[in-house]
Amino acid sequence: MKSIKLTFTLIIGLLLTGITSLSYAQTDEYEMDGKTFGMPEAEVFTEDYDGPPVVGDHLSLLPNLEPLDYKGNKTHEVRIDIIAQEIEVADGVKYEAWTFGGTVPGPVLHVREGDRITFTMKNRSDEEVTITEPTKEGSPFMQQVAQNNYMKAEEATMPMPHSMDFHAGTVAKDDKWRTIAPGQSIKFDWVANYAGSYIYHCGTPSVLMHTAMGQHGVVVVSPKEGYDTEYEVDKEYVIVQSEYYLKKGSGDLYQYDYEAAQNRNPSHVVFNGHQTILHDQPLKANAGDRVRFHVSNNGPSGTSSFHVIGGIFDRVWLEGHPFNEMRGMQTVLLGASSSATIDMIVPEEGKYILIDHEFADAEKGATGTLKAGPREK
Amino acid sequence: MNILTNIAPVKITLTILTVMMLSLSSVADAQVLVSSGSFHSVMPEVKGEPVEVDSFYLDKTAVTNKQYSKFLQDHENWQPGNVPSIFAYKGYLKSWENTNSDEVVNPDQPVTNVSWYAANAYCQSVGGRLPTLNEWEYSAQLMDFDSLDEAREFANSLMSWYSTFDNENIGAVGSTGIENRHGVKDQFGLIMEWVEDFKPVIANDLSLDCGTVGRMQKLGNAYSYAASIRYITRMSFSPKSTNSTVGFRCAYDVETIEDQKASL
Repeated sequence: MKSIKLTFTLIIGLLLTGITSLSYAQTDEYEMDGKTFGMPEAEVFTEDYDGPPVVGDHLSLLPNLEPLDYKGNKTHEVRIDIIAQEIEVADGVKYEAWTFGGTVPGPVLHVREGDRITFTMKNRSDEEVTITEPTKEGSPFMQQVAQNNYMKAEEATMPMPHSMDFHAGTVAKDDKWRTIAPGQSIKFDWVANYAGSYIYHCGTPSVLMHTAMGQHGVVVVSPKEGYDTEYEVDKEYVIVQSEYYLKKGSGDLYQYDYEAAQNRNPSHVVFNGHQTILHDQPLKANAGDRVRFHVSNNGPSGTSSFHVIGGIFDRVWLEGHPFNEMRGMQTVLLGASSSATIDMIVPEEGKYILIDHEFADAEKGATGTLKAGPREK
Repeated sequence: MNILTNIAPVKITLTILTVMMLSLSSVADAQVLVSSGSFHSVMPEVKGEPVEVDSFYLDKTAVTNKQYSKFLQDHENWQPGNVPSIFAYKGYLKSWENTNSDEVVNPDQPVTNVSWYAANAYCQSVGGRLPTLNEWEYSAQLMDFDSLDEAREFANSLMSWYSTFDNENIGAVGSTGIENRHGVKDQFGLIMEWVEDFKPVIANDLSLDCGTVGRMQKLGNAYSYAASIRYITRMSFSPKSTNSTVGFRCAYDVETIEDQKASL
């Protein structure tokens, strides 16, 4: 009798599982306009993996961008696990963030237009994962965090279902961007069909809460033929603007402020996840350098009017696509999940302030410093 | 996709089996009657009509580590190490040092890291079953507030709780001070809880995208927002999921408890 009951329970359980794993209509791979579409079905599975949460040769900690040290196209094996971390986002303001890879924003992935990415992600939100111990495995991101833990990240757990939505990917969301429970992993392929800087974020509802809690980052897809310039840039940086909606919790930690998020009233608007990081660790260049900024506004809900005090943007490629070239812009308006690749000539030795010219945002933290040394050439 | 029609006969069979296998566990004040009524669901397929719920009995508090430990003594097949991987992920009872009833760690805290299968087996062993999603939600919403402001404040604190779960300091059952009008405690503020049909058929259509919360916001208030987070989180689970924040309590059909009382 007992075994019959167990069997019935198992059947119901399998039915419950089955509801989300009904087979997806699968489009065979095809090419159109030189782009590749039709990726294999995503695989949801469990694994014992307990290694570094970020794996891959071209993943870095903001504001760094790993150089593409290969010719033509390649397939990247990339892992970005979901982990909870207690992080500092402003002086004395810590909260338990939901993250990709342990920082907010998550690691920067750099690929070339036409590259294929085989992506694996484990939902380790119910597992303590340390990101600050130097490791030879993993990615440049892991080394950089170990050397420069500017968010003072510490292990935390906060089990929640999560998912990954790469804006740089062109796939069916009900397959690739599927939500996975804590303990589950997902693996899928996508091809970087379009050049530009694209955000990635958790797409599990409430998306507002998941992204505001820290689940977003950037993929920089460099154009196959590069940008149409007669010069090489001297420095290249990635800047991400985003908002936090935090209020003081019962203990020392801050926590998500649901009402503030609903009302678009952020407690902090920041560059690269921390209110003062780009002043504490200014970007560096020299007078006469050409600096390239990959700027992304990851929101979740605000806009960014990105400006550099003392500079004019020599060239701007909206969304980072080489076709969208603009010249001589003072400010670039970025909606939520919008980006631009910006080249600027650093005029003279001194300080330049990167700023969201929406001053309410600037005064909540959306500023940074570019420190220029003497002219060398 | 006739999952509903597939499940219905199975459920009926289960109920019959449950009644047949009823054990004579003591019916003290551990359960309370939640009398029939209706509530507004945030599920988008329910078009404004209140959901009717029949009377049922529900455990006052979530199942504790101590209670679960006793269950393991009588059901060795549910001890960690004996549970086949089709019934639970590896994290099953991962926080337990041992399963000896005398040395249960945090005996009065709710048991967590239990899969849906394990929760089912436990409730069957005490002559009950997991509450249905509608039963659980109906009971949870039987809260009395003095004013709309108070209700709103409570809903806001729920949102904070869902985003800042302190799973390392889960309190004892009954410790939250949150109680519905029948005396069911801690449906909020302590842990998340398994329900029988945690992944309703609509879950597939919703596909859990960015618009889902909006579609669930019919009541247009913070309370339904918090409810939508709860529904969505549950829907994302696998029946094998074992989370440090998810436990359960059992429900009982009215006849089951009355038969039990009559036989005492």
